[in-house]
Amino acid sequence: MTASHILLENFLQALAAGVLLGALYGLMCTGLGLIFGVMRVINFAQGDLMMLGMYFAWYAFAGFGTLAVLGPYVGPIVAAILAGPALFVFGYLLHRLLIARVTGIRVAGLEGEGHYAQLILTLGIALVLQNGGLLLLGSEVTSIKTPLSASAWEIGPFVGQDVSFFINKARGVAFVVSLLVVFSLYLFVTRTQLGKSLRAAADHPEAAIYMGIDVDRAHRIAFGIGTGITAIAGGLVASYLPFQPYVGLDFVIVMYAGVVLGGLGSIVGAYWGGMTIGLVQQLSTLILPTQLQNTAIFVVFLLIVFLRPQGLYGRSVQRT
Amino acid sequence: MLTLENVQAGYGGLTALGGVSMDVAEGDFVSIVGPNGAGKTTLFKCISGIVTPTAGSITFAGRDMLRVRPCDRPHLGIAHVPEGRQVFPNLSVLENLEMGAITEAGQKQWAQNLDYVLTLFPVLADRREQLAGTLSGGEQQMLAIGRGLASAPRLLMLDEPSMGLAPTVADQIFESIASVRMEQKVTILLVEQRAVEALEYCDRGYVLETGRVVLSGTHDELLMDDRVRKAYLGM
Amino acid sequence: MNVERSRISPFLWVALIATAYLAAILLVNNQYYQLMMTLVPVWATMGLSWNILSGYSGLVSFGHASFFGLGAYTVTLLLINLGLTPWLGIPIAAVVGAAAGFVIGYPTFRLRGHYFALAMLAYPLALLYVFEWLGYQEVSLPMQRENPAAYMQFPDNRVYSALALAIMVLALLASLRIERSRFGMSLLAIKQNEIAAEAAGIDTFRWKLKAIVLSGLIAGAIGGFYAVVLLVVTPASVFGMLTSAQALIVALFGGVGSAWGPVIGSAILIPLAEVLQGELGDKLPGIQGVVYGIAIILVILFAPEGIYWRTRDLVMARHKAAPPPALERRSVTSAQPTVTHHVGGSEAGQIMLEVSGLSKSFGGLQAVRDVSFAVRQAEILGIIGPNGAGKTTLFNLLNGILQPDTGRVRFLDHSLLGMAPNRIARRGIGRTFQVARPFPRLSVLDNVAIGAYVATASDEDAYALARVALEKVGLTGAAHVMAAGISTQQIRLLELARALAGQPKLLLLDETLAGLGAQEVEAILGLIRQLAADGITIVIIEHTMHAMVRLADRFIVLDHGAVLAEGAPDAVTREPSVIEAYLGKRWSARANA
Repeated sequence: MTASHILLENFLQALAAGVLLGALYGLMCTGLGLIFGVMRVINFAQGDLMMLGMYFAWYAFAGFGTLAVLGPYVGPIVAAILAGPALFVFGYLLHRLLIARVTGIRVAGLEGEGHYAQLILTLGIALVLQNGGLLLLGSEVTSIKTPLSASAWEIGPFVGQDVSFFINKARGVAFVVSLLVVFSLYLFVTRTQLGKSLRAAADHPEAAIYMGIDVDRAHRIAFGIGTGITAIAGGLVASYLPFQPYVGLDFVIVMYAGVVLGGLGSIVGAYWGGMTIGLVQQLSTLILPTQLQNTAIFVVFLLIVFLRPQGLYGRSVQRT
Repeated sequence: MLTLENVQAGYGGLTALGGVSMDVAEGDFVSIVGPNGAGKTTLFKCISGIVTPTAGSITFAGRDMLRVRPCDRPHLGIAHVPEGRQVFPNLSVLENLEMGAITEAGQKQWAQNLDYVLTLFPVLADRREQLAGTLSGGEQQMLAIGRGLASAPRLLMLDEPSMGLAPTVADQIFESIASVRMEQKVTILLVEQRAVEALEYCDRGYVLETGRVVLSGTHDELLMDDRVRKAYLGM
Repeated sequence: MNVERSRISPFLWVALIATAYLAAILLVNNQYYQLMMTLVPVWATMGLSWNILSGYSGLVSFGHASFFGLGAYTVTLLLINLGLTPWLGIPIAAVVGAAAGFVIGYPTFRLRGHYFALAMLAYPLALLYVFEWLGYQEVSLPMQRENPAAYMQFPDNRVYSALALAIMVLALLASLRIERSRFGMSLLAIKQNEIAAEAAGIDTFRWKLKAIVLSGLIAGAIGGFYAVVLLVVTPASVFGMLTSAQALIVALFGGVGSAWGPVIGSAILIPLAEVLQGELGDKLPGIQGVVYGIAIILVILFAPEGIYWRTRDLVMARHKAAPPPALERRSVTSAQPTVTHHVGGSEAGQIMLEVSGLSKSFGGLQAVRDVSFAVRQAEILGIIGPNGAGKTTLFNLLNGILQPDTGRVRFLDHSLLGMAPNRIARRGIGRTFQVARPFPRLSVLDNVAIGAYVATASDEDAYALARVALEKVGLTGAAHVMAAGISTQQIRLLELARALAGQPKLLLLDETLAGLGAQEVEAILGLIRQLAADGITIVIIEHTMHAMVRLADRFIVLDHGAVLAEGAPDAVTREPSVIEAYLGKRWSARANA
């Protein structure tokens, strides 16, 4: 194979990996996008909530083996999807008991103060989840074993017989599922009355009260959904990535970078933001050593925050 | 229908309302006028529940409002069109109207109300799918009023609908309010800085100054009274 | 509540506590506890470092691990590669930390709120990956066989505890000095209300930068020391999230924004965590983190300011607070309760402020439209107009908070365009705000002194100027009362005093009378007249018309951002266009019909 063919192949492989990973990052970011982008609640624990989703999926399929009956192909996927509702409940309660005390209209007047308390509270929650996880779940690295993660589809060959790239089956399936989940969410917030009232409550809480919307409840639900979506992403990631209780930290900056890149206030933007981050990360492996992949993300994040804090995508209108 | 008795309210040591009493009978059009800082918006916020009065009572259709949560009051039939419009900027015009209609009464009459609103404000029909944040001030005001009407209210409260609007646009808005008065069976409570427009259409009015009612009377009485001018301009 | 200056000097407290701790160190023989005795001052120092930036100024940093880790690696790598003793390495680490503070702070301070916090979080994590990539996964400090003491290696662990204590004492002394100086006051002002601080003449950017540099210096030093104690440095142990979290927690738990807070917090939390780790660490790994997490949650929900402040409040509450002192009758001849019109501002007076063609729009909305006017010395100019007319936007343009799209602003013949608010304040323009936010935990006198910093470099003089200002407004009796306990009228007077303390030539007053009762209004009117009589030029936005018509020499009426009318109060209020703007069209027509 010529050098240029190798280059092309590497590029296509990185691109494919970027898209696949990007879809999952996009899903994670969508969850955070609901919470941070739309409700402007800073949630440091988002990565750890995702971690809980991963463990839930693992226990559902492998640990307690309840879903093993569905077989090794379907089981992990269903487990990942079920992590959604399970973590929805967790997120709902978390908001009701803790987060609501430092958010909402009561605190809106103290602009700076509200955020300060949110940052610190969610940092505390993150620590409890990470270390609680360590305590209860052990520090061994786990993963959900599925035969899909060991095989791949070959795309190609192109350019004569030379260039082709591979799509890992587990990642491919995860990609499709994540698209379906995001699409369902999109339908929910744009077509259903509950979805629209969530958007209204986040858009302008005071006006929402004038409409008769129970804004406190709407915020709890939105927070729960945001948690659930990120948990599903976690469950999907669990099918091919080994994880341990501290895995959340690796993803926190990814998620925030994606949401900010996508433009605060836009759920769709958050998805594309995550997709972009995934692409950047995978494409950066073409020029950077693997260990610096994550540094590349940080650099991108810092660049966005400094140069274009309003993000690249999304059609958010300036808040009055 | 709506009775306020000696309502007092304040923020952090400041008195915004120093004991306001008023009556709005069913089917009335009542205007509340007064200079800036008189407490008009605070009064509305007390009726809506965003602000809790420090003393006094508010009764609507026989029910003590202080026992009703703010987000439940619209479901009883109180529609508040807030100061500064406060549309949902990232929702479309149609979605904004849908949000107005989430009350039970609003749901039942959705089709007719939507029709009425779009006829009353044709420009909203043209911009149905547009994001509300991109509308002009006047269009947003129309949307806010439409939202209020969409809830099929028994009491429609309008807080300074002319604020920030160019005079001709403000005129249009007032004319629409007058049509609503004539065509629908809704009680209207209007707060305005512009005394003439507010008093022109009303049955009865109150003049508020520094948190108290300094003058009240019928449409005829107030329109002729020079004390109204003094309340605004100080001399 | 009265804020008494403690009878025992804080520096004496430091000496007492340090001595007591030193004694405790000498008594401990168990190696495990000796390590704990070292870690307490180490984390207290980190907490103090965090406090200097985030506690006083309110800019929450989750990234102090950056400085800590850089300090640790500086000492380690200098020892390994250059054989440089930590006795020199630690000061160098401090410099590295300070430099990192500058490099990080300079760009990052342009970010607001949560963006700042997220960026600060990203720095240590990025450094973590970089150091791992550079191959420094685990670096050990080599044991020195000859002359270990010269390399800060001692067989007796108690020496380390003493050294840690020494560093902590230095950091503590620095913090205490800062608290009492304009450095600390300025940071507190920034935390409370950055815009008001700028308007009062505080150069917020420079102070923030100084804070982060000092913070980085301390964190770098203690990080270097930490490396010496542990003898092994890994990226995760020094750049990790737990490091930043611990700095934050001890300060938060103990008391944010006070020098003692991190010390108290560290003294309680570190032994607790270490004991938990020791006893239960094997059976329950991660228990330390769980306890820290729960501690943070409980503190932020129930005692967000930390133990130190909570205790102080409880103790103060025991001495039942006297009701806020009544407003003093101002003795001077100025009180003229029967004057109905103010006559002043001679035609020949110097032009202080000249505005021409000022315009500003936001998106599609024209907030200020081609506004021009001039103000003469000792004049009282009233800016009136219906709601939403652009009055506050105009003030924001005059005082540098916003920059105009077109037009000029000249003050005493210097253009003000492009100047930051603090520089405009320095030139002699003072401002009060519609929503007044005094600094609640400071006394009235301290609050006002902050306004005086712009007028003098000496802290003592600042307090002298503050006292004079307090006397002018009649708040002398309340000088030592904590600002949280005064009435609304007194808050307005405090704002006024703070603006006066800066020795302004021109005052911009924004709705000073709103919501006050008739008597209170009279008192403040008298005060404002006196200020004009003293030569200060006043521009005031107000809605309370019956007061304004008696106060102002001239009115400018704004409507929809443009000047509608200008002139003496009785002329302007009779002008048809003005009446229309307020009461609506056709009012005059009807009235005359």
